[in-house]
Amino acid sequence: MSGLESAGASATAKLAGAVATGIGILSLATVTGLVHSWVRGAGERLVTPEAERPKVAVADQAEVQYCTPRFKEVLERVLHSCGLAADETRRGCKPSDVKTFASISDDDFNELFTPLKDRGGVIQFDEGMDDLDEAGKKLLDDKWFARKGARYFFVVARASKSGTQSKNRALSHRRANSVMFHLKEVANDPELEKKVGLLWLGNEFAQLSKEYCNWQTSRSDQKCDDEAINRSAFVSWVDCRL
Amino acid sequence: MFGGSRTFAVVALIASLLGLLFAANSTLDYASHLDRRLHDVHCSFIPGASATAEAEPCRVAMYSPYSALFKESLWGGVPISLFALGAFTFYAAFSLYLLLLAERAPLGAVRFFSLASVIPFLVSALMFAISLLKLGQLCKTCIGIYIASALLLVSGLMGLSSLGNEAAAPRPRTGLVMPLAWLLALGLSSLVPAVVYAASVPDERPFLTQCGELKLAEPKQGELLTLRGARAVQPALMFEDPLCPTCKAFHERLVNEGIFERLDTKLSLFPLDSECNWMLNEPLHPGACIVAKAVLCGGDQARQVLEWAYTEQTELANAGKASAGALKAKIRQRWGDTLARCVDDRKTEVRLNQHLHFASDNSVPVSTPQVYLGKRRLCDEDSDIGLRYTLSQLAPEVLK
Repeated sequence: MSGLESAGASATAKLAGAVATGIGILSLATVTGLVHSWVRGAGERLVTPEAERPKVAVADQAEVQYCTPRFKEVLERVLHSCGLAADETRRGCKPSDVKTFASISDDDFNELFTPLKDRGGVIQFDEGMDDLDEAGKKLLDDKWFARKGARYFFVVARASKSGTQSKNRALSHRRANSVMFHLKEVANDPELEKKVGLLWLGNEFAQLSKEYCNWQTSRSDQKCDDEAINRSAFVSWVDCRL
Repeated sequence: MFGGSRTFAVVALIASLLGLLFAANSTLDYASHLDRRLHDVHCSFIPGASATAEAEPCRVAMYSPYSALFKESLWGGVPISLFALGAFTFYAAFSLYLLLLAERAPLGAVRFFSLASVIPFLVSALMFAISLLKLGQLCKTCIGIYIASALLLVSGLMGLSSLGNEAAAPRPRTGLVMPLAWLLALGLSSLVPAVVYAASVPDERPFLTQCGELKLAEPKQGELLTLRGARAVQPALMFEDPLCPTCKAFHERLVNEGIFERLDTKLSLFPLDSECNWMLNEPLHPGACIVAKAVLCGGDQARQVLEWAYTEQTELANAGKASAGALKAKIRQRWGDTLARCVDDRKTEVRLNQHLHFASDNSVPVSTPQVYLGKRRLCDEDSDIGLRYTLSQLAPEVLK
């Protein structure tokens, strides 16, 4: 290699080195600049509220179609007035209370419970009696343990027309209590009192018509009439956020 | 044997640019997540392919402790892809230098390049082994980097080989100074993007405590499952669905990183299956209620049943989609008749219902997994990419 060629080669090498170094530095600066802009961009987004942040559902009690404003209004009034919604010593509502608090006619009151036809059950009693038979216990257990997302369990006890008003009032009260005592036995739930709403209507408010014999009853194999269907306690979870 | 001076340089340049592209994708994914929002992730063999929501292996790699350095002192850590980004930039420039000079490139430069091309290959081999052995998954973007590194090594070998074939004029020689300078340049080039990244990362501390609290102070005695780690130091509450893939990945991360053993976990089962969970209109994970009941029935072996469900998750999910009977048969086959009977017991249904009511009483989001330290909920992003940093801030004893 001549001296001229050698000098030329050396100059080429230097030029190539300079070009590569220049491009290398430029590339590194570009890459680093990109990284910086990505991080800075993320930092800016971090302190900028998202215009459309994806909404996440929040866990809550069930709320189904029959929870109309009217239905909830009546039940809420009953809950508050019958000592369920707060830590009150008072438990349950007698007929006059229900009439006053619900501010609703007999038919309208029963109409409210119509959507609970499949969810609830009618536990029947012998005439003048308040003890649960095996079929009654079984139906009650079935209904109680099928809680799903409900918060409140309603017990609406009644008595048939035969007998005096005061006697039937007391009888329906005892029937409601029988349900409650059985739940205490099987539920093993320290918060039972906060879940169960007791109403006893005697024979003076919202009597059931014979149509209710078609609902799920504990004595579906026996004759059912206007008298038999009211010797009962209707029980159901209510899938409403009250 | 392997080709001439230009050929190896061309291969090296292509390998470097390929590596640069994959490393840039990976870094971009990391940097995007610093805003604590949801982002798709690049996970494709095709350079330049757009990010996708179907990128589980790449997410697993990203959330793993091996994807970044200093994860406990910097939210998300410093991703190792940044070092690759800088290194491949250097290799690209050096390849260009060798390409421009071809057979007139100094002997020392070719030898240096051949030797230096081993470094990314060794790092890639290590990461490949970690992916396979520790994570059990291979991320496509990572594989892209591994391929680029392997190609770079091949080009280095080709370069060495080309030296033996040369009959032309001898190459100019360099002293020791130039290789040392190149090595220094390689080191600096590798470090600069990482240093700039670390210096620019926003302060995430104010956001760590912004994701809500439990409404109730404590679960009632026996209400939830207790999974106490062997060296538990921190009470934690988790909401998990045994058929949720994210829960599986999260649980495995906690176990693999030794975090689970440091937690005294109360587990609230939260199956995303409308069969038992009234908060959903349709089942997201059909059969999850049944598997959740199996976990409850596990008793002292609840953790084993849960981890079995995670391990067999794909099969169980398929069985759940087929029928309840198929799913119960799998449970019976693995855990026997007693546990299978327990799954069908009304008491178990009531217990699971209590777990779900615990969630609704506390107004927690309908999503899994969720982690609470005390009453405070960890944000989703703090329980994945920012987990170690968040723990170092809120429960440092867990990482000791």
